[in-house]
Amino acid sequence: MKKNRVWLSLFLTFAFLLSACSSGNNGSANTNAGSKEESASESAGSLAPAKLTIVLYGDETNRMKELAKTEFYDVIKQEINAEVEFQFLPWSEYAGGKTDLMLSTGEDFATYTDINYMVKSVAKGVYADLTPYLDTAPDLSANVDEASFTAFQLGGKQYAIPVGNKPNSAEFYSVLVRQDLLEEVGMTSVSSLAELEEFYDKVHAIHPELIGYASTDARRMLLYDYTDKNLYWQNEFIALDESAEDDQIISWFESEDFKKYAGLMHGWYQKGIIPKYAATNTPQLQSDWNSGKAIFWAGTAARPFEGAATISQAVPEAKLANYFLGTGRPKISRGTYSTAFFVSSAAKDPERYVMFFNLLQKNQELYDLFAYGIEGTDYTLDENGRLTKINNDALIPDWLLMNKNFIRFDNSVPEDFIAEYKAWDDGAIISKGAGFNFDNTPVKNEETKLNGVFTEYLAPIGSGFVDYDEVYPKALEKLKAAGLDKYIAEYQKQYSEWYAKHN
Amino acid sequence: MATTESKGLMIFFYCFIAVFSIICLIPFVLAVSGSLSTEARIAAEGYSFLPRGFSLETYQFLFGSKAEQIIRAYSVSLLVTALGTVSAVLVTTAYAYVVSVKGFRFKNVLAFFAYFTMLFSGGTLPWYLLSTKYYHLNNTLIGLFVPYLLNVFLMFLMTNYFRSIPHEIVESAEIDGAGHMRIFFSMMIPLGRVGLVTISLFYALQFWNDFYLPLMLVSNQELYTIQYMMYNMMANIQFLASGNAAQVSGAIIAPPLETAKMAMTCLTVLPIAILYPFLQRFFVRGIVVGSVKG
Repeated sequence: MKKNRVWLSLFLTFAFLLSACSSGNNGSANTNAGSKEESASESAGSLAPAKLTIVLYGDETNRMKELAKTEFYDVIKQEINAEVEFQFLPWSEYAGGKTDLMLSTGEDFATYTDINYMVKSVAKGVYADLTPYLDTAPDLSANVDEASFTAFQLGGKQYAIPVGNKPNSAEFYSVLVRQDLLEEVGMTSVSSLAELEEFYDKVHAIHPELIGYASTDARRMLLYDYTDKNLYWQNEFIALDESAEDDQIISWFESEDFKKYAGLMHGWYQKGIIPKYAATNTPQLQSDWNSGKAIFWAGTAARPFEGAATISQAVPEAKLANYFLGTGRPKISRGTYSTAFFVSSAAKDPERYVMFFNLLQKNQELYDLFAYGIEGTDYTLDENGRLTKINNDALIPDWLLMNKNFIRFDNSVPEDFIAEYKAWDDGAIISKGAGFNFDNTPVKNEETKLNGVFTEYLAPIGSGFVDYDEVYPKALEKLKAAGLDKYIAEYQKQYSEWYAKHN
Repeated sequence: MATTESKGLMIFFYCFIAVFSIICLIPFVLAVSGSLSTEARIAAEGYSFLPRGFSLETYQFLFGSKAEQIIRAYSVSLLVTALGTVSAVLVTTAYAYVVSVKGFRFKNVLAFFAYFTMLFSGGTLPWYLLSTKYYHLNNTLIGLFVPYLLNVFLMFLMTNYFRSIPHEIVESAEIDGAGHMRIFFSMMIPLGRVGLVTISLFYALQFWNDFYLPLMLVSNQELYTIQYMMYNMMANIQFLASGNAAQVSGAIIAPPLETAKMAMTCLTVLPIAILYPFLQRFFVRGIVVGSVKG
């Protein structure tokens, strides 16, 4: 009996050891697969085989999983002799969370980033400098705006490679309106704040269950009504006037403009254009918009067709259109990129990663494959090149790849809309702050405190939940105590230095 | 007098608990009813206690499009819970036994080591490094439970329980020639059954509900647990709704349907909800066991 016990415990120990080693087995299985493929690819020329890990955020669809092992695998292998593993993480890990962990522990991978996260990470030294490898992405460079590259440079070094090229000037400066409701109440278009409010009143009379504005921030679309400047925000605290040719930054919350804007928003809130629940349950606003329960939203060039697909599930007859509430101010663009890929500094072969990014924007054929899948299986094209999806599984997210040189529209998008979309950026200017990245190290403490004050005091004032006159004096006091002046001065100093160098 | 007073108090407590449990139940009822409603009516009218336009469409949709994934996630969850609980109980009771043995010189040192980790930890980063770079737990099944094999609190619970077993029993076994292996398996484990059941339940619940280990260590979809699938879905919705998505260039991705979210919730909670009423008495009994020493 005692022997049995001993044997049992030995067996268990052994079983544990065995299972612990199984990870090692997996590794060797992969290398076998690698060597098998090695001989297969000749067209990738003299390139040594490489392994790349691309992290994407969101849900991995079944079709994506399938293609990653078949067509994507083959094409990438053939083009650049690399095996790419696509790893999907939840969006909560974007620009932080596990991405941070993976960077700090020196994993070999690449994923996309925004400028804020890039600045933080470069300071920690976890992004690879990609400047030397730019030559290996000639097709991408041809299809992506040069200004987009500048946006992801720090100290003259390229830390992330932009992808995407789409008209995106004047993001959120227009009003995205439910055109079907507009027509229902006998109007054709909206061109001023007064008309927008009239539109709301008329719809509200017929459909009291609908909310007005499905967001809490309208500083861009209402610009025409509270200021003569052409404001463009660098962050919550700082704006630039794009109509002036100087290096002056504007402390947004201390400006007269903010006061007028807060007044407009407070009016909207009291009137019910912004629903009462918005103060406590902001995510609900977008759900309401998506389910067709809101009258208007902030617009972008692409939102009329990007958003229509979602709304039409709840309201099949919904139509969307963009309107500006004023004229005469050039649209401002931050660059036409969708996002940008960085490579971790621990990557063994950053060059190959850059070559992979190149594939994403190389030509129509590859774009179609990565964004839409295989013709005949996943989608069909009609004689006009319009797309009909057979399979709705998302592949490499198409918002990420979206390039006006390659994009395909589906049948429901009207011809004149496509023309309008393609011409959206005509006459747009690149922001005079594009390419400037603020180094927040000297004012890190102030920034943290200011963000706290912003959430507690300024955001509610800006969204009109509270009265400006009542709360502002206290809010300003808190801002000053948190070091607003020092922060603004530091920002101005860095911006002026940068501005002098680039103009 | 005293009895009427305590009777009144009892009624008060019962009412209080009844109200409290109703409050706790409401979200769950809403989830169940939401999952059985039709999407169009949820979108138009919001949630209610009774399903709006009763339909099983959502479940059909979920099982139609994601059946394979859900079933796999379920089996991974079950496997992890089973394997995890068995090994964790084994490790924990073994440790607890060693700490509770009378006359073992280093037992206090060992107890202190365990206790120390309750107060201080190295943090996420070193943990992640250790798990991935040195133990290679990423993308392995064992990675989903090995890091949680020893819960110090449960270990001390078990130690206390072992201590409450009269030492004379152990002594007489020793006189009869039993070694530690024999004492542990033939005496302590059978005598500590109630404690064992309690910590098993705690572990099982912990393994079933865990989404942190898959989040940190797993990227291979085949190893997703049902909780992680759920977390993934919720995290994506949260992010898209938070407005941070604008930083990634106004990405609009259609969030999953409301009813689908609710159906996923029900699927995740279901097994626990069914088992809990039957097992719950062990929780209560187990926790107080060993707390009073004669």
